[in-house]
Amino acid sequence: MVQKIHNTSAKVISNEQIAADIFRLKLYNGKIASACKPGQFVHIQCGEGRNFILRRPFSIHRKNGGGAFEILFQVVGKGTKALSNIKPRDELGLIGPIGNGFVIDGEARNILLISGGLGIAPLIFLIDELMSEQRRICVLMGAASKEKLLYAIDLKRLVRKLHMATDDGSQGHQGPIIDLLPETIEELDPERIYACGPEGMLKRIAEITGEHNIPTQVCLERRMACGIGACLSCVCKTRQEEKEVLKRVCIDGPVFRAEDVIWEV
Amino acid sequence: MQNPIMTASGTFGSGREYVPFVNLNKLGALVVKSITLNERSGNPCPRICETPSGILNSIGLQNRGIKRFVEEELPFLSSFDVPLVVNIAGESVTEYAQVCAQLEDVEGISGIELNISCPNVKKGGMLFGQDPKVAVEIVSECKATTEIPLIVKLTPNTADNVTIAREVENAGADAISLINTLLGMAIDTVTFKPMLGSMTGGLSGPAIRPVAVRMVWEVARAVNIPVIGMGGINNARDAIEFFLVGAQAVAIGTANFIDPSATLSIVDELDNFLNEKGFKSIKEIIGQVKT
Repeated sequence: MVQKIHNTSAKVISNEQIAADIFRLKLYNGKIASACKPGQFVHIQCGEGRNFILRRPFSIHRKNGGGAFEILFQVVGKGTKALSNIKPRDELGLIGPIGNGFVIDGEARNILLISGGLGIAPLIFLIDELMSEQRRICVLMGAASKEKLLYAIDLKRLVRKLHMATDDGSQGHQGPIIDLLPETIEELDPERIYACGPEGMLKRIAEITGEHNIPTQVCLERRMACGIGACLSCVCKTRQEEKEVLKRVCIDGPVFRAEDVIWEV
Repeated sequence: MQNPIMTASGTFGSGREYVPFVNLNKLGALVVKSITLNERSGNPCPRICETPSGILNSIGLQNRGIKRFVEEELPFLSSFDVPLVVNIAGESVTEYAQVCAQLEDVEGISGIELNISCPNVKKGGMLFGQDPKVAVEIVSECKATTEIPLIVKLTPNTADNVTIAREVENAGADAISLINTLLGMAIDTVTFKPMLGSMTGGLSGPAIRPVAVRMVWEVARAVNIPVIGMGGINNARDAIEFFLVGAQAVAIGTANFIDPSATLSIVDELDNFLNEKGFKSIKEIIGQVKT
C-alpha cells in the first residue's frame, strides 16, 4: 500500500536554533502536513540543484495545525549548514511524505520509546499520536549532553516516566541510554517498544528486546539519492522467512521490526 | 521516438517508482536499470555520496536477474506506450549473449543497451569497454543471438573510445551511447574511511559533463550509427550541447535525483527552445557545432 508522494515545495515559517547546532524548522505545505504519519520523512533540497545534487532526508518531527509541520536537524555537513541559514518565507523543494511510518497497535497501552541523539525527532510525532488514547508512555532518552536532551521538560510533564542519559554525565545516567534498558523492561514490562537513534544503539535494543520477546520497531536512516525507491542506494539487509532480503530504507522503511533487521554495525 | 529524451540506466529503476512524478508515455524512451543473468545483491552500503557538482555511486548492479525481470517488470512496462530499452550487464562475454537470448522472444522491446563498463573478472577486472577486442566479442555474440537493436554503452575510463566505437560499429552495433560513469573515490576525513562501502565508485552529474561532451564529439564524428549522449545533463541547455556535437538523443540520469520530473521538464524546455529559435525539429541542430 503506497501512499501518494508529492514532489513539491514548502514555505519556511520559522527556523529556530534550539541547541548548540540543532535547529527546528517549521514548514508550510498543506498536502504533506495533512497526509504525514509518524515515522515518515521528507526529502529536502538544501539549496540550488547544481550545488546540492542529493536531497537530505529528515524525519517529520511534528504536525502542527493549519498545514504546517516541523523537522529537526543538526548541522553536520554542507547541506545542513545551508539549511541552518534559511529564513522565513524562503521556499524549499521537498518530496514527501515518504516511508511506511510506525505501526500503532490499537490495543497496546503500555508503550516504551527509546531515543538516542536526534532520534527523538520522529518519536515526538509518535508521542503526539499515542497520547490521544489512554496509554502509559515511558521514554528513555539519551544524548551527548544536557543541552541536547530536547524536550526534557515537556516530556516530564506529558509522559508517565522519563529516564535520561548523557555521554558527559551532565544529566541523568552517565553513559549510553541503553544501559537503562534492562531495568526499565523489568520495571515497566512494556507491550510495545519504538526506537530511533544511532544504529549501534538500535542493534543493542534489538538484542535485548528480542530476549524478552517484546515487539519492537526501529526507525533506520541511510544516505539517499532518489528517495522514492528507484535507485537502490539506501538498502538494508533484512530477514524474511529464513532468507536474506534487501529492503529500501526509503519506501520499504524507514521503520522495520527490530527482529527483521540484519545489523551491519 | 516522439522526442530525443531518454532515461539513463540505473537512475530510473524500471519506471514504476517514477509514475507519480512522470507520465512515462511522454518520454522519448525508457531505459531501465541494468539486468544481469543471475540475481545480484549489489555492494555494501554506503552506496552513494555527494561530491562537488556530482555524486559517486557504487550500487553494484543489484537486480533480480533476467528471469524475474521478464516475469515481474515487463508486464507492467508493456502497459505503457513508450519505447523500452533494456540495459544489460554481464560478468563474462557469454553472459551478455545469454541475457539477449532470454529477451529475444519477448515482445515490446525496442532496444538492448549493452553496459560494457563492468569489470572483466577473467582479465583482472579490466572493464570490458576498455578492450576493443572484448567489446567486439560481446557485440558479435549478442548480434548472433538477437534481432533486437543493440546500443553499446561506452565507458569514459579508457584512452581511446574512437577506436572502440569504430570497432563495435563494424561488429554490428546499431547505436552507441556514452558516457557511463567515471571511476572515482572519496574519503571521509572524520572517520578516515572511504565514503563508499566498496571504496571506489562511479562519478556522475554536472562535474562530468565536459568529459562527456568531448567524448560524444569525438565518437559522433568517427561513426555513422546514431550516438546517444549523456553525462551531467540538468536542463535543455545542457542537452543542446550534446546535440550540437552530434548526439541524436540524450539520456538524463543524475538530474532525476535533483528533481524526479527532470526528464519531462527537459522535454518541455527543449520544445520551447525549438519554437523560440524557429527550428522545426531537433535534427536541425544535430552536429551543428561550429568548429
